[in-house]
Amino acid sequence: MITMNWTNEELQAIVDEHALVLFMKGTPNEPQCGFSNRAAQALQQFGEPFAAVDILSDQRAIPSVCAWSDFPTMPQVFVQGELVGGSDIVLEMLQDGSLQEMFDAGRSA
Amino acid sequence: MVASEWVQAEVLKAVPDADVEVIDLHRSGDHFHVRIISESFDGMRPLQRQKMVLAVMKQHIPHPVHALDLKCMTPAQAETSGDTAFDPHGGGQGVHIRRIEKKKE
Repeated sequence: MITMNWTNEELQAIVDEHALVLFMKGTPNEPQCGFSNRAAQALQQFGEPFAAVDILSDQRAIPSVCAWSDFPTMPQVFVQGELVGGSDIVLEMLQDGSLQEMFDAGRSA
Repeated sequence: MVASEWVQAEVLKAVPDADVEVIDLHRSGDHFHVRIISESFDGMRPLQRQKMVLAVMKQHIPHPVHALDLKCMTPAQAETSGDTAFDPHGGGQGVHIRRIEKKKE
């Protein structure tokens, strides 16, 4: 695990480097919240590799991530660098195919 | 803890024309599933819809509202939506529960 200070630059670098990023409570194998578990399962079902960041690993994480993304709840899913929302939205986007569309479309300039 | 009616009133500040249904998932006044049905969501992406609601609600998170599961739908989407709400503590894995009351059409 890399040392993180949860700065905007570090957070931006994570979503820049990975096409799919999940900020969650716990890990996909050991989720600490039902919503985080639901988001992790949706991404696992999607089938593409994703980076999972455990925001319970450091007490600075939740306030830093929420301030940076301007979204008040966890989990948070980023597709191609863009916040799509929490577990409810990612599940909806998995089911209606828009997650695949957004993933395939790549990054907007 | 807060009442479902209070959550409903707060949501209506953000989306005044909405049909709002609030389910207090554990009757603990801090975990809510909220269904918001409004014509004004038409043409908006899911995150934009939630941000409209969160503009008012985020000041109440994480206290007194700990968990807020938002379902923002247009009337057309509500027609085809299922009857379940997600409970994040439903047996650790998260389960679907029956809605407490049916929305009146």
